[in-house]
Amino acid sequence: MILIISRKQETTTNEVIKWLLALVKKFIRVDEDEEFEIRAKEKRIYIESHRNCFYIDDISSVWYRRGGIRFKKIQYDNPAVDVHMQEHQHWLQDYVIKKLESKKHVNKQSTSAVNKLMVLEQAKKVGLDVPEFYLAEDTAEVVLDKTITKPLTGNITINNYQDYAESIMYTNIVEHKEKDSFFITFFQEKIEKDFEIRSFYLNGDFYSTAIMSQNDEQTKTDFRKYNLQKPNRNVRYRLPAKIEKKTHQLMLLLDVNCGSIDFIKSGDKFYFLEVNTVGQFLGVSAMCNYTAEKAIAEYL
Amino acid sequence: MKYFNLFSDILITKGINRILISDLQRNNSELQSLELYNIIEEFKSHAIEEVLTFYDEESQEIVQEYLNFLLEKEYGFITEKDWDKNFAPLAPEFREASKISNIFMERADLLLSPQLLQSIANLGIKHLVIYCDAALPLTSFVDLESSFSNSCVESIEIFSHYHPEVDQDFIKALHEKSARIYSLIFYNCENPPVEPSDIFKFNLVFSDQSLRLNSCGKVDFKYFDTNLMKVLEALNHNSCLNKKIGIDKDGNIKNCPAMPQRFGNINDIALEDAIKHEEFKAYWNLTKNDILVCRDCEFRNVCTDCRAFTERTHTNQSGLDISKPLKCGYDPSTNVWEDWSTNPLKQKAIEYYGLK
Repeated sequence: MILIISRKQETTTNEVIKWLLALVKKFIRVDEDEEFEIRAKEKRIYIESHRNCFYIDDISSVWYRRGGIRFKKIQYDNPAVDVHMQEHQHWLQDYVIKKLESKKHVNKQSTSAVNKLMVLEQAKKVGLDVPEFYLAEDTAEVVLDKTITKPLTGNITINNYQDYAESIMYTNIVEHKEKDSFFITFFQEKIEKDFEIRSFYLNGDFYSTAIMSQNDEQTKTDFRKYNLQKPNRNVRYRLPAKIEKKTHQLMLLLDVNCGSIDFIKSGDKFYFLEVNTVGQFLGVSAMCNYTAEKAIAEYL
Repeated sequence: MKYFNLFSDILITKGINRILISDLQRNNSELQSLELYNIIEEFKSHAIEEVLTFYDEESQEIVQEYLNFLLEKEYGFITEKDWDKNFAPLAPEFREASKISNIFMERADLLLSPQLLQSIANLGIKHLVIYCDAALPLTSFVDLESSFSNSCVESIEIFSHYHPEVDQDFIKALHEKSARIYSLIFYNCENPPVEPSDIFKFNLVFSDQSLRLNSCGKVDFKYFDTNLMKVLEALNHNSCLNKKIGIDKDGNIKNCPAMPQRFGNINDIALEDAIKHEEFKAYWNLTKNDILVCRDCEFRNVCTDCRAFTERTHTNQSGLDISKPLKCGYDPSTNVWEDWSTNPLKQKAIEYYGLK
């Protein structure tokens, strides 16, 4: 039995499920609205929500896509009992999560959220080229027009800010100095690119796409500023073996076995930018006829 | 030395006198000369400078113009020293999770039985087309929609008879309640009740024609569709019948409602069992390369084939009809489109199908 941890109406999950059905693989899907209780029966441990109920040892593989398994928190009136029971519940939950994560998996709840700064440092350590980066509270040291800034967060959207329902914080070039100082911010050397590469990574396999975004002013700095009239060309690409090897090492270090990895190609160099573990990858995959959703379904 | 690299999502289909360049990402195709085809071929094995030496001075200018055209259209790019071999070719495999992707039903109403709904779910059917020769009330459409909530069906297209109840309020109410209906065609309609500029969730067409099932199968430039998945399917399978199922007005299960062969009736057999019939998938792997005339046509990879109405001139060793679609008036050897229905060579087949 395959366990899928995701959110409702999550497209990628739906597409993988279509392949699981085609491959006649059984699965359980857990969404964000479920709260589990940990229970035991005949010396076997199982967890139960309003929709799902399964033995932990019946699960053969786990795909952590988004969200997470949440547990019902039971509180006690007596403070002394409550302190003890909170810890008791904590270790039970920890056990369930660790048991699930010890199975064959595609990503894990505990390591899926990556720290962009740590990832860059680790990338350097494994020998990948990384554009110089630093944190600063003002623009004194920033070289204008040769530096970009982007969010450190995993989520790059802001909801209901000013008059906009949703704003996206794209990568931008710093073109002028700020008079005042500001909250500590990420800056990185801007690389003149030949093109961008986005690789879908699954347990050592790379499905790479070259994104020809450099000829278009709109997409030059961030290809996600899609030009709908004339979309960027997205074509199959093979990263050099040594880049794949180093990146594979990086993913092992991060303990993440599935994600989208961004590179910039500039001359003979492949600059590593970031790893996204929860992003949408099906659009790019489809354009290259990779069928990444099938690869995930087959692996599980 | 400079090298021209053709992008892998550009598909070039060679015809007898010209080529079709299909841009599988930007979803458009254009006709070009065989001369351009030859130059593109030369660019695949020679540096640009080398290719130029194959031509005299006057022709070199033309080659340069062709190259500029290819770059302007972003059909390819130039590299120094060598081709960029890290750009991998497009894998031509067609992968589809559903056992059946499309169903075409000819029905007297929109009321589907629970068994049929279950079969649609079991087969993973994504696209539903219903041709209903009746005047349908609003509730029929709404009930059909709700019977597919929480289902794997992604899109529904309905052809039905126009009647005066279909007014602005009818359409607006349906607009509110529809989720999967993406296309509605009301035929036999003289005065459309909505402005063509009105925008709804679905495509809305009011036709003054009397549409009938045998109106299907026309091959025309306007039906050509440059779309990666459709092209991949056409390269590997029959673009008309692969992963499709049809049910005619009497409930007979077929490859297409307009074809004669039956694989049981929905009142007696489930769709899942009907498709197990050894001949059900017989046409699925018949590609345009197997079909006479089409195999030489530059449009073969973007064309919708038709096996229901053909010229009925040839069958292959397995008994499959490999004749050209009847309703295609195009001749790839002359590049002329003519009215198929008046072609004297087609009259026998037209008569056979009773299309007069």
